[in-house]
Formats: sequence, C-alpha cells, structure tokens
Amino acid sequence: MKRPEGRVYLVLAAWLLSPGFAGSNPTGEQEAEVLTVATWGGAYEESQRRAYFEPFTAATGIAIRTVPYDGGVKDLENHLAAGDVQWDVIDMIQSDASVACDRGLLEPIDPGIIAPAPDGTPPQEDFMEGAIQPCFITQIVFSTVIAYNDRAFPGEKPDSVEDFFDLKAFPGKRALRRSPVGLFEWALLSLSVPREQLYDLLSTHRGLELASRRLDSIRDSILWWRSGEEPAELLASGQATMATGYNGRFFHARVMEGLPISVIWDGQLIGFNSWAIPRGTGQAEQARAFIGFATQTERMAAQANLISYGPTRKSAQKRIGLHTDMGVSMQPHMPTAPAHMDNAIFRDHHWYSKTLELREQWFQNWLDQ
Amino acid sequence: MAYQIGVVTVMAIAVGTAGSLAAIGFVEAVHYLNDRLLISPYARVQADNQPGLVAAATLLVPALGGLLVGLVVQFLIRERRGLAPPDAILAAQTPGPTPGLGSGLASTLAALISLGSGASVGQYGPLVYLGALFGNLAGRLRLNLRHQRSIAIACGVAAAISTAFNAPIAGLVFAHEVILRHYSLRAFAPVTVAAATGYIIANVIFDRPVLFLVDFTRVEHSYEFLLFALEGVLCAGLAWLFVVLLKYSTHAGRRCIALPWARPAVAGLVVGIVALWLPEILGIGQETLRFATIRDAFGIGELALIVTAKLALTALCVGFGFVGGVFSPALLIGILFGALYGMVLPHLVPVPYSGLVVYAICGMMALASSVIGAPLTTILIVFELTRNYDLTIAAMVSVVFANVISYRAIGRSLFDLDLRDRGFDLSLGRDKAILGSRLIRDYLSTIYTTARGSHTVEAVRKRLVDEHRAEAMIVDEKGVLRGIVRLQGILDSPEGTPIDQLAIRAYTLFDEHTSVWQSMELLRGFLGEAVPLVSEDGKLLGVVPEEAVIRAYLEIVHELREEENEAA
Repeated sequence: MKRPEGRVYLVLAAWLLSPGFAGSNPTGEQEAEVLTVATWGGAYEESQRRAYFEPFTAATGIAIRTVPYDGGVKDLENHLAAGDVQWDVIDMIQSDASVACDRGLLEPIDPGIIAPAPDGTPPQEDFMEGAIQPCFITQIVFSTVIAYNDRAFPGEKPDSVEDFFDLKAFPGKRALRRSPVGLFEWALLSLSVPREQLYDLLSTHRGLELASRRLDSIRDSILWWRSGEEPAELLASGQATMATGYNGRFFHARVMEGLPISVIWDGQLIGFNSWAIPRGTGQAEQARAFIGFATQTERMAAQANLISYGPTRKSAQKRIGLHTDMGVSMQPHMPTAPAHMDNAIFRDHHWYSKTLELREQWFQNWLDQ
Repeated sequence: MAYQIGVVTVMAIAVGTAGSLAAIGFVEAVHYLNDRLLISPYARVQADNQPGLVAAATLLVPALGGLLVGLVVQFLIRERRGLAPPDAILAAQTPGPTPGLGSGLASTLAALISLGSGASVGQYGPLVYLGALFGNLAGRLRLNLRHQRSIAIACGVAAAISTAFNAPIAGLVFAHEVILRHYSLRAFAPVTVAAATGYIIANVIFDRPVLFLVDFTRVEHSYEFLLFALEGVLCAGLAWLFVVLLKYSTHAGRRCIALPWARPAVAGLVVGIVALWLPEILGIGQETLRFATIRDAFGIGELALIVTAKLALTALCVGFGFVGGVFSPALLIGILFGALYGMVLPHLVPVPYSGLVVYAICGMMALASSVIGAPLTTILIVFELTRNYDLTIAAMVSVVFANVISYRAIGRSLFDLDLRDRGFDLSLGRDKAILGSRLIRDYLSTIYTTARGSHTVEAVRKRLVDEHRAEAMIVDEKGVLRGIVRLQGILDSPEGTPIDQLAIRAYTLFDEHTSVWQSMELLRGFLGEAVPLVSEDGKLLGVVPEEAVIRAYLEIVHELREEENEAA
C-alpha cells in the first residue's frame, strides 16, 4: 500500500522530470535552483526554515531564499507592479490573501497537490473548514495578543484588554502595530462590548468614532512597531511596558530566550496564515511543489513543535508534543488551548477583506488628528 | 389520566419545537435579507466604496419593501391586515374561528419583508403569532384534551419567546401573562415543557448574540431607587405618547392615502429619506441598542434626536400598515431614553450615580412593559439575560411604576387596546371579556306563547292560563315582534278588546348580537319572565328566560374558574 505522502513525492518527481526542469539546465550542469519565499522573519521564519525549507531542499535540491514581508496587500501589489516578479511563494494573512485573490494577484492552486493525512483522511476533511481555497491554502492559526514586561509591574499584574488602556493602574508605553488591525477590536472590547458584536458595531460610523476616542486616551503613550520581532524587543528593553504582538514571538522570547514577558490571553485576536503564489512568477510549478510539501501533516507538526502556532489540519494538531529543543509542552501555549478561548476574538476575515480601504483611511485620519 | 399527561407532553414538545425552529428561521431570514439588501451596517460598510449604491438602497429598499408588503396584505391575507399577538390572545381566549393557515403564513411573509427591508417595526410580534399559528394547528388535532387550543397556542408562543430571547422563564411567563391570562397547573406544565424545548433548541443551533449583555456590578446608592421609580413614570408618559402617535398615524394613513396597499410604501419612503441622514432608525437597530449601554457613544442631543425619530417612524410604519411588532422598537426607544435620562440626571441632581447601564436597562424594560402589558415578562428577561440581581431589582422598580401609570393612562397594553376596538374588552379582566364575547342567542328558548294583535283579551288570557305562562309575545303575520303582554296587565281588561291595544311597547329586548355580559346589564330592573330575542329585521326568534341568563353567567364563570384551577 502506497504511503499517503507518496502523492506529493509523485508531484515532485513529475516536476523533476518535466521538460521545464530539463530546459532550465540546457548545459546539463546542476545549477542550484532557488525558490524565493516572502515571509515574516525572526523566530517564525526560523521555525519555517527548520520545518519546511531545509527538509524541502534536502528532498528536492531546490534552495530556499527568503525576503522580508510584514503583511498587507500593498507590498505584494507594488512588487508585482514593478514587473520583474521575484517572489515565488508568499505567506499571507488569510484576509489579505482573500483580497489578493479577488484582485487577481495570485496564481491558482490545485487542491490535488495537498497530501492526505497519514491515516488516509482526505485533505478536505483533515483541514479546518475553508482552509483550502482556489488560490491560497491556510496553514496556521496564530494570535495577536497583549503581553507585558513582568518586571514593569511588580505588584498587581494586568490581565485584561481593559488594563491595556488603563495608564493609571499600569503606567508605561504601549507598543502597537502600525496598521489598522486589531486596534479597534481592542478599543471596543475594553468598553465591554461583547466579542460577538464587535464587527457589527465597527461597521457603523459611531463604532469607529468610539474606537478612535478610546485610542485617543492612550495616544501619547503609543510606540509603533512594524515587524513581528519588534514587540518582544521593545518589552525586553523596557521601552514599552505592554505590547501587542504575535503569540509565537512572545513564546519564543519567554521560553527560548528567558525574557520576563507574560501574555494576556483576554481578547486575543485569532487569525490565520496562508500559503499563496504571486501571479507571474516563473517558478509557479516549483512553488506548488513547495506548498504541497509544506502542508504535509509531519511538516506542519514539526513547525508547531518549534513555535506556538497551531496547524490547521487535525492530523498535525494531534502530533503536537514537546518543543523540539526545550522540551516544553507546546499545547498550553497554542492560541487554541481551551483556557485561552474564553474571550478570544475570531478575526472576521470577510469583514477585513471588504473593509481594507475604509480601515486604512480611518487609521490615517486618526494618525493625522 | 396517563393518556392525558402523555399526549399533552408530546404536544408541548412538538409545538415547542415547531415554534422554536420557526423563530430561528424567521430571525435568520431577516438577517439574511438585511445583509443582502444593504440594511445592516455590516453589509453597508462593505459597500463603503460605492456610496451611490448604499444611498440608493437606503432610499429604495424600504419603499419597495413597503409596496410588496402592501400587496401581500391586500391580496393574500383575508383579514387585510398583519396578524399579531392580539389575534393569538383572541384565539386562546375564545372558541370562535381564527385566521386561517394561509393568512397566517402570508402575514409572516409580510412581516419578513417588512423587517428585511428595514422598516421600523419589531420582530417579536410576528414571532409570537408564528408560535400561535403552530399552536392553533395542534389545537385542531382530535386529541380529546380539555382547553386544547388555548394550551397549544400558549405552548407555541412560549417557545417562540424562549428561543428569541434565549430566556425560557420569560417565555413561560409571557404565555401566561399576555396570552392565557391565568395560571392553572394544567396549562403551566405543558407551557413549561414548550419553553424549555425552545431554550434547548436555541442553545443547540441558534448562534445569535443575546439581546443585551452588560457589565454591571451593583446599585451603589439606595436613593437611586427613587430615580428608577421616576424613570418608570417618565417611561409611562413616553408609552402614552407612543400610543397617541400610533393612533394618529393610523388615522392619517387612512385619511390621506385612499389605496390601503400603497400606505406602507409611503411610510417606507419616509424611512429611507430619514435614514439617509440618520441610519440608526433602519430596522431593528441592534447596534444602536448596544451603543446605548456604552458611555460616550452618544451625545445628549444626538440621543434625544434618535429617540424622537425612532418613536415617530415606528408609529408611522405600524400605522401605515407595515407588518411587525412594537416590542423591539419599544425596547430600543426605551434603552435610548434610559441612556438619555442617565446622562441628563447628573446635570440636574449632582449626586453620585451607579453609571449609565442600569438607567438604560430600566428605561428599556419600563417602556416595553407598558406597551405590551407584560411587567413580569420584562423583569424576567432582565434577570435571565444578565443574571444580575441588582439590575433586575432596579428594572423591577421602573417597570412597576411605569405599569401603574400606563395602566390608568392607556390601559393594560397596546394589544388590549386593539382587542377592545374589536369588541373584546379585557380591561375588567377575563370574566367580562369572555362574557362579552359569548352570545346570549345560544341560550335561546323557542317555547313561548305568541298572539296576534287582533286576538282578543279573552283568547290570550285563556291561552296563557293553559300554558302556565304570564307573558305572551305579540307578532304580526310576518313574525315581527309588535309588543308583549303580561297576564297581570290584562286580568281586568274587557274580554273583547283586541290585545294590540293593551300591549306593552317599551320592554327589554335582545338581538342576535347581544352578549351574555350585555344581557346581564339589560336585565337590571327587569320584572318579567323572559326577554324576547329578535333578528335584525325585527322578527321574533325566541325568548331568553331570566333563568337562562343566570345559567349562562354561571356556566361561563364556572368554566373559567375550572380552567384556571385545573390540575395537570
């Protein structure tokens, strides 16, 4: 009986034997081929390197080069507009991927490239609902959480989104991502709006106004960050006492680097990352082969044992154990751990993808005030 | 006995399931339409880059929706009006014919279009009617249960409210307080089962945020209870204003627009025009309701404006024939008014307060309870949704004061006002209403003595003695009653006198429409044996002996007491 992974290797083999591959080496010389992946840097990229890039190179001989990408559709648009498409694979937030797909910025992906689970469960059943899309495959669950420097608050510790906005009880700078993502959810959540109604209220002018006014109350204490590794650095250096950031980065800072950083799970904003292929890349076939490889159960589980982001396929979730290097149990650090779900916000991807311009304009207006 | 309990339980579960699923389907359908038709803010914001489209939808959707509603009501509903809780009350209280299934479904469709297209009407009225519709269907089954129809209707209504508010106890109490108007164990048991069924179904498959979730710890100062009471009084005034506006708008609609089916379209157009400038008034307004409990979401002027606009537009929409309830608009207007009250108070009486939330909730429940005449239900809704004792007690004080005043000013509820206009007056309780709805014709006796006007005194006297009666009815050849004659009045009269000359012309008379209640009123000071009952053209149909009126009264009252005191 054929191993389930066999299909992916078949895809790889077919590609290796394809005329395209042969044609790229007319002299027959084994010129090292390189696939470019746009991704998020830091500990996250490191986990990808160990779980996906290195094993992929070992299996196919194709080297992986990464370029920094910090989210959004604009960067991709600019890159494609420049003409010479260098990015072959891009790791996007699901709502961005959805917008990019609608705008024709992504290559289609045949779901047939995804391997079934080791027990033979077809991918459609193994992946969470809506993960397999015509031009992106959603691979991890991540969360944007609020964290604080434990030494900044020797007495009472903050434990809610409301505390993030309470400069009196918990003084110090607040580090926030310079992007219209999450800010308004937390602003309203801190006003006791139930999470189920956040996006309904944010759809009104009044809701956005209210969020603006709430953010005004901490305006002078905000430090902006852009790339994923900054929040932990800002907390560690003492520049900020509280920061929003990706849960995996805080996990890395706490567990791997021993920094005094604690996470507040109240109001965690759950989102998803997806693999996609920029339209016009010359290496779309190789990119598909990579995505097929990186979405295998074993590979996804390997990443989850390196950084606390949850895999989107059930078979991989069942393989989450101890951290590969540190031996820490990974399950309690996952955003989806039951204890963290009480007041978790599921980012409304539909709303996000349809309100891109509105959010950006609102954010700019607020910054200009 | 076992059969009774088994069948009643199965019926309660079946009706409860149907009522609950229908409520869920209805609410989901309204949300779907609101999203599709760019009524909900969630949908409108996603079309933000096409402002023309949003404006066109705002202007046209309620107007076209109104046109459709007008046509459905005109051509598909036999009663030519939306069916509502008063119809459910009537069906549960009286044994008479009820609106048919077709009318009920068409009315639900009209309500769906009304709410879906953003008219300022409520969803709970149609849900209550929908629950009653299933109850009515179950009431027709040959299950051989006593009071089957009223209990089944109460079950359907309880399940619908229990599901819609996610509040089973409120559903149970609503069915008794508003529909049944009594608390017998026989009805209580199945209605409880139905309410619980609705709650379970709602929890398993209904994924809507509850009406309100608030953050409130406790009432900090005891003097605030005085302020809650005052708030209740003010809300009663607002309820009165609402009723007056509604009446006025109904009359204005009839006077200004001759074609009934065109009226909702006109109201829809007005809603659209106002919504261009004040989108908060569109539809049920869940977002606005939530904002009312958040400090600083509104300015005082803004709140006053929205309260006024929502009040006027709800009266317009309901009065002009959109199909929908008044409970959700009353909740919204009430919570906004409560927030306004809570914001203005600190400027008038500078003492510490417990915050905005409690005043908003008190206003919401005080106004809504006055409008639908359900103080217990509204208090329980607060309790079940917040599980907060302090908040419930504060709301209770407001609700009670609002009801005490509004009961005097407008009557128990808008439903009862509507029923009174239709001849079923519950203002003096069930006894009077039921006695007023039963006809004395049902107690007619056809055994009596008649005479022609030309008959002589002697002949009539002899016949009365022979038949052991003291009264004779004088009729002409067509059977029309001309007068009556009593034995004591003709004892000494000359034998040959035509009886016509001695007939009494002024006497107590019933007709085909005389109710048991009216017959009792008419019998005051009556000295005779029996009262003649005539048809519309004056023909004598029979007589109602005094004993029959007393019997009718005793039977009906006995039946009511029995219904109210029945054990399971």
